[in-house]
Amino acid sequence: MEKEQGQAPISSYSWQWYGSLGVLVSAGVVGGIYRAWQGLAVTHLSSYTPWGLWVALYIYFVGLSAGAFLLSSLVYVFGQERFERIGRQALWVAVVSMVVALTFILLDLGHMERFWVSLRFWKLTSVLSWEVHFYIVYVVLLLTELYHSMRRDLVLRRQAPGIRGLLARYLTWQDEEISPAAQARDRQHLRRLGMIGIPLAVLGVHGGTGTLFAVVKARPYWNTAVFPIIFVLSALVSGTALLLVGYVLERRRRRLSADLDMVQGLARLMATFILLDLGLEFYEILIPAYSLRSEEMASLKTLFLGSLAPYFWIGQIWLGNITPLILVFSSRTGRSLRALTWAGILVVLGIVAVRINIVLPPLLQPVLPGLPAGAYFPSPVEVITSVGVIALGLLLYTLGNSLLPLEVSEADHKVTDPTRLPDSFPTKAAAIEGVGHGE
Amino acid sequence: MSLATKSQTLAEGPGAVKKAGGGMGPRWAMVIDLAKCVGCDTCTVSCKAENRTPPGVSYNVVLELEEGEFPNVRRVNIPRPCMHCDNPPCVQVCPVGATYKLENGIVAVDYERCLGCRYCITACPYGARSFDFGWNYDEEMLGYSAQQASEYGVPHGRREKGKSPVGNVRKCHFCLHRLERGEEPACVETCLGDARYFGDLNDSESMVSKLVASPRAYRLKEELGTNPRVYYLK
Repeated sequence: MEKEQGQAPISSYSWQWYGSLGVLVSAGVVGGIYRAWQGLAVTHLSSYTPWGLWVALYIYFVGLSAGAFLLSSLVYVFGQERFERIGRQALWVAVVSMVVALTFILLDLGHMERFWVSLRFWKLTSVLSWEVHFYIVYVVLLLTELYHSMRRDLVLRRQAPGIRGLLARYLTWQDEEISPAAQARDRQHLRRLGMIGIPLAVLGVHGGTGTLFAVVKARPYWNTAVFPIIFVLSALVSGTALLLVGYVLERRRRRLSADLDMVQGLARLMATFILLDLGLEFYEILIPAYSLRSEEMASLKTLFLGSLAPYFWIGQIWLGNITPLILVFSSRTGRSLRALTWAGILVVLGIVAVRINIVLPPLLQPVLPGLPAGAYFPSPVEVITSVGVIALGLLLYTLGNSLLPLEVSEADHKVTDPTRLPDSFPTKAAAIEGVGHGE
Repeated sequence: MSLATKSQTLAEGPGAVKKAGGGMGPRWAMVIDLAKCVGCDTCTVSCKAENRTPPGVSYNVVLELEEGEFPNVRRVNIPRPCMHCDNPPCVQVCPVGATYKLENGIVAVDYERCLGCRYCITACPYGARSFDFGWNYDEEMLGYSAQQASEYGVPHGRREKGKSPVGNVRKCHFCLHRLERGEEPACVETCLGDARYFGDLNDSESMVSKLVASPRAYRLKEELGTNPRVYYLK
């Protein structure tokens, strides 16, 4: 117990880490200011290819968020104890990813100062309008759920010195109740919020983001009913992979051994999602190809042989799908922590290619014969701001990890079975005593 | 017949204008006779002059296509303004209702509300929408930025970075400001071969009403169900 409350295992992140993130975030801020000043003329977007890197990264991070959240619901709704260790991490990753995603969409607006207009008007026919509102509700739900998942540990930290104690006191405010009944209430809140959150994440947040593209009948490549489902599946793929990587790296940083069984469980889950995703993508490609319609063939040609072919074959298929599947299912690497982590890293990177291949192919085709074809490669400003926004996400993730009790302590890990909770949990008095000992 | 002006729309909101549509006012439509189009691009140029559109923004373009195989080829020129669809996909997707249909059928953009998210550009099956990236013709044309056209009948003043319509999506509006003065759209008036006709579909005696009934009449991508207000004569 002392170990947990006294923060002993938390080694601070190195100054090199904060320093490099600081440099990247500053570069992004400079790029962002330049972009705000000069408008979208600093991008390589055009009226023919109106969306590019920022939109691809926006859907990428919405996907990470939805995937991470759905994984957290395995713990809080479906009681999958083996993933308990990453429940809070998953919620925090979901929150940070949404912040990153919304920053990308803000950068992409022609009039950034009018972003609030999208909240003021709720246009019922517009999927994007629904999405914006869903995102807000979803982030509020994530934060509430995160609070309840950490509440006990926050209360225990109220006496802790420094900024962690201050944050704990501020967040818990007057609430010091950690009796078994209060903890049972927390779990119930988590379960209920998770149950509301699942349809919200699947239909609203990520399926909805897929729907945003799927309803566009002007672009046959997007305009399929399977598109939103692929979105949800690829969200699960990327969310699972990111949590796997995050968990292993975080344990390594703290010089603690990782739970190989759980990592393997996550890796297998990820591989299952990849297989399902591949199956759906097969139909997604077969059916338009079978139609032989010129506009469908043109999009597929860009994807398979054209300018996007490297993203597709190398990024999406080879790095994102085949290599991770081999790493997870091969008997030689299937129980190697290093190999599984690499599988996760490859998937996290490969899904970026997937997102690019969602946004760009139809935007490189002219909608009418005779109109010019689009062409797009991100401009330096687009790249710098993107790196900056991602670094901002990493910074938020890091700060959360170092300031909030996102790690489930070793002592608590085994006792997730609700029936065993009351006697194995410390009473409030004992817990506070524990804090004293720790200091 | 009074046209719904932008100030009216702003006062009553786009919904109000829609509800008011009882078939009393004009229902504007355009007919383009492809057999008469010589592909001179006068419509494109006069539109740019009329609306003082910046580089990269063209409300009207002429698509030049070659049909058939050598030696049996023929050139077809398809002028493409906004189709002013009766089921406009751009209006459906706009998250803030900044683009909407007026009572007279014109699809308008409210520059002061548009966020510049460009969802409508991706949704338009005709490529009729452009984003204003803020470029200008100041080097080619003295005082280009000093005054902008009074699109939708509202003065937009100087052209400045970050000020609407820069950062907005822009499109053909059938020269609404000219219609309000009783004039035809610029492209119709300047067409060399008189290939364009403009008029009221609610008036069964109008030229457009008669031409639309011709067996030569067709519309682009009719299978999408957008119901364009621009008809072509084969």
